[in-house]
Amino acid sequence: MQRGLTDKSTIAALATPSGRGGIGIVRISGPDAKSIAKIVTQKNLTPRQATYCNFFDDDHSVIDQGISLLFPAPHSFTGENVLELQGHGGPVVMDMLLSRVISLGARIAEPGEFSARAFLNDKIDLSQAEAISDLINSASQQAAKGAIRSLQGEFSNSIEDLDSRVVAMRLYIEAAIDFPEEEIDFLSDQKIQKSLSEIDSSFLSVLKSATQGALLREGINLVLAGRPNAGKSSLMNCLAGKNASIVTAIAGTTRDIVDEYIHLDGIPIRLVDTAGIHAAKDEVEKEGIRRAFDELQHTDAAIILIDLSLDKAWEKVVDQLLIEIPYNSTVKPLIVLNKMDLVDSLPTEQLYRAMPVICVSAKKGEGIESLKGLLKEILAIDFSEEGSFIARSRHIDAINRAYEHLKEGRNQLDQFQAGELLAEELRYCHESLCEITGQFTSDDLLGRIFSTFCIGK
Amino acid sequence: MNYPKQFDVIVVGGGHAGTEAALAAARMGCKTLLVTQNIETLGQMSCNPAIGGIGKSHLVKEIDALGGVMGLAADQAGIHFRVLNSRKGPAVRATRAQADRQLYKQVIRVYLENQQNLQIFQQSVDDLIVEQNTVCGVITNSGIRFRSRTVVLTVGTFLGGIIHLGLEKQSGGRAADPASNRLSDRLRELPFKVDRLKTGTPPRIDGRTVNFSVLEPQPGDQPRPVMSYINTTADHPQQVNCFITQTNARTHEIISKGLDRSPLFTGEIDGVGPRYCPSIEDKVVRFADRDSHQIFVEPEGLNTHELYPNGISTSLPFDVQLELVRSIKGFESAEITRPGYAIEYDFFDPRELKFSLETKHLEGLYFAGQINGTTGYEEAAAQGLIAGINAALQCSERPPWCPARNEAYIGVLIDDLITDGTKEPYRMFTSRAEYRLILRQDNADRRLTEMGRSMGLIDEHRWHRFGEKTSLLKERNVILKSHWCQPGDINVETYLGQKLSREYNLAELLRRPKVQIEALLKAIALDWPDTEVNEQLEIDLKYAGYIARQEDEIARIRTQHDVELPADMNYAEIKGLSNEVKQKLQEVQPQSIGQATRISGVTPAAISLLLIYLKKSKLLVKQHVINQ
Repeated sequence: MQRGLTDKSTIAALATPSGRGGIGIVRISGPDAKSIAKIVTQKNLTPRQATYCNFFDDDHSVIDQGISLLFPAPHSFTGENVLELQGHGGPVVMDMLLSRVISLGARIAEPGEFSARAFLNDKIDLSQAEAISDLINSASQQAAKGAIRSLQGEFSNSIEDLDSRVVAMRLYIEAAIDFPEEEIDFLSDQKIQKSLSEIDSSFLSVLKSATQGALLREGINLVLAGRPNAGKSSLMNCLAGKNASIVTAIAGTTRDIVDEYIHLDGIPIRLVDTAGIHAAKDEVEKEGIRRAFDELQHTDAAIILIDLSLDKAWEKVVDQLLIEIPYNSTVKPLIVLNKMDLVDSLPTEQLYRAMPVICVSAKKGEGIESLKGLLKEILAIDFSEEGSFIARSRHIDAINRAYEHLKEGRNQLDQFQAGELLAEELRYCHESLCEITGQFTSDDLLGRIFSTFCIGK
Repeated sequence: MNYPKQFDVIVVGGGHAGTEAALAAARMGCKTLLVTQNIETLGQMSCNPAIGGIGKSHLVKEIDALGGVMGLAADQAGIHFRVLNSRKGPAVRATRAQADRQLYKQVIRVYLENQQNLQIFQQSVDDLIVEQNTVCGVITNSGIRFRSRTVVLTVGTFLGGIIHLGLEKQSGGRAADPASNRLSDRLRELPFKVDRLKTGTPPRIDGRTVNFSVLEPQPGDQPRPVMSYINTTADHPQQVNCFITQTNARTHEIISKGLDRSPLFTGEIDGVGPRYCPSIEDKVVRFADRDSHQIFVEPEGLNTHELYPNGISTSLPFDVQLELVRSIKGFESAEITRPGYAIEYDFFDPRELKFSLETKHLEGLYFAGQINGTTGYEEAAAQGLIAGINAALQCSERPPWCPARNEAYIGVLIDDLITDGTKEPYRMFTSRAEYRLILRQDNADRRLTEMGRSMGLIDEHRWHRFGEKTSLLKERNVILKSHWCQPGDINVETYLGQKLSREYNLAELLRRPKVQIEALLKAIALDWPDTEVNEQLEIDLKYAGYIARQEDEIARIRTQHDVELPADMNYAEIKGLSNEVKQKLQEVQPQSIGQATRISGVTPAAISLLLIYLKKSKLLVKQHVINQ
């Protein structure tokens, strides 16, 4: 079932970029916002009044504490009932809060949906139509990007595996219903039970890898390319500021040698250091590089770092690095010339091959503010609603819903021997998975049936 | 000459679509003319002699619930009835009737000839009268001009029909009937997108030359089902058996050797055939690992020996057909009465139709049946009915009507066609319906008959029967909820095989697995005649949770259907839509936001952009509710 704007369901989203700053806001809009407010805060909120309260989970434990604000329709941003839950930020806490709200009947908003609802409910001037269209457009492009990033590696493989199992199951069940007289070798009851239990285990393992991955995937990918002595770690420390420095450094796997996290003004940034690319000698490292290259395809920004004191002919080094590093070509790298304090004359170019050039001294902290400004400009798009974190939340939400339907389908088969209700639940299950894997129509299903079975009375 | 009388509705074609269209329009009080090439072939079943089946009997029951004749005729001509999926749950159960071809035709003709407001005329139609983008009548091959306010075209496979038998081909609309080439050429001049489809039929066999003693008989079901809500088994004629046999390795060898003369494999046929109804040569090639395929041997009627071997549709040359038939068990000395053939024909891209089945290009012109790319009598009849209804509504200046996807398989059929178009002959399957649990063959009357009545389609007799059933359902529903069974009630506990822990009403007990209404009624000694009504009560209870969930979903998206899209939208100028989405929207020109959401590739973000554009251009107005 595709969802459009005229559907009057209650929507929810993080109103602040994930992990940024001291507070995080979950915003909810729609008819159920009031009832959700009551359940989550266990208080009767006075409209338009900030109330300090606990946010409760369904087992009555406290997820977070913060401010609740309820704006009843029509006097709200969207013109609908709007609830804002302002918590302490932190990606894990915000995710739990969002999941809680979703379990109470809201769904994750489509990109730009809050603004679009506001516009359609006359809360935004008609003259802003263009701006709203642009916002929806960029938000959805960004969501698509986030979704792709969320769907990398292991997670993607296990989703595909799960999806193909569900499709295979549906093929048999639907063919048995629509073509009862064909000589199809339909699944026996035991085989159905066995397949269902295999699908169940697939769900569990996907959910496990998805939740683990969510933390690692969070944030923005920034590739740092340059020779080993170019001063990457001092630049990293500079960017991160004195109190943040390196947040995570998981050792033990090849891939993680090139992974490090910093916070830039509260935005989590995953640094992909390509230093290892040059150092690779053995097989294990080569595998690490292969994966690093894979990551580079999903980069948000890239810095090419050059030691100006060593490489006076920095243009040549840039050219060479560009050949060696297959970064995503839609992202223009930023050329950072380090150790500006050690040379007499600085290059005057502001652009090289359409890439911005900036001189810094990581050691003395010179030029760092301009670099941050440039980075923020390049990454600006990721500061709004949709990052990979929300994309992953969306995926986990879809998998959870799919799993609930699978469990109910098994129940219908066990308790009631109701094959048509198993079919129904499997359809819902598959529909939820399709929010991740892409549209699959009834005609696609029939096509698969006809190519798998000889139908032809 | 100009015919002296002006009509409201002219229906061109007397097949299953034309029949329902003409009858519906006439029932609704329109002066209706049915023009057919040949009165003798009105209601002809040109392919297999069966009505109904999975997904299809659902359509028949809906046609019946709206006062159509297909179900009535299937009962009066049905010589073998079966319930399909009888063990699989009521939502997917279906009924199929083998029909006596002659009887079926006769019954349909009686209905047509006795319908008030309906005139029949035999002549082929060569052209349409078109004035200012509005259709105003038809011109026959002898130049007679009939004027009307609306025209419904139901010309089946007759448009540009080419029949293939081996490498020989000839023009034709059906074996022994000419194609409508003049009309086809004329329509090709109009701005409709035309494409080709293909279908086929098996050779027919003389039953006197078949050795039935080696075939597996397949009797009809007991208790015998009926098609129409207002019929009983007393309306059925004498019943006969069907038989089953199989192809074998030898058959497949014969087919393989004949492939170099198969128009399907030599590239003679361009039209796309149905994947679910492949020819036997296609099956042998595509599923080479199978050494046998099932054949259902169906009687063509009570007064003929002709048999229809369902499963060996073919366009191989006649000598190969004869050899392959005789390689089959029981057919060793069989004689063919008519060769099998494949037929290619024109169809129009149904995305150029409104949900009323009126064409978007020409006002007052309606298309129904195979020319819209469907296959099957039931699919044709369903469209004919809707086209006839809407032509009549247009004549009385009432808004158009078509059931929504959640109201009828007819709605699924038409929405699929006008939104997705089709690349192969479209056939109904239950898996196409997302509201399968609501759209059952047992409740089509409850879904549609009231609406049919309000449009003037339902006669007193049917309306009375419907009223009786509805009030009985209501009455018994109250009892199910108010009749309490106490712990210690020995009859109930014996039936359930366990003690009652507290008092339960009957409705609660019926929601339990394996509790069946008839047995429960017996246990508490309630005598409720009319098992059909009881079954309905039980189904409603068993599916209650699912139906409630689907109804929530339906309510949530209903508003989308209220937002109409103007007919002449220029999607190219909507900012932010991808080119792919623009192109798809431009192609389909959806009538509502609801329809737009169903177009593949149209994302929620695209819908947002569309709504914002509408609002900005002040086009976002909620008009009358589409799909009522």
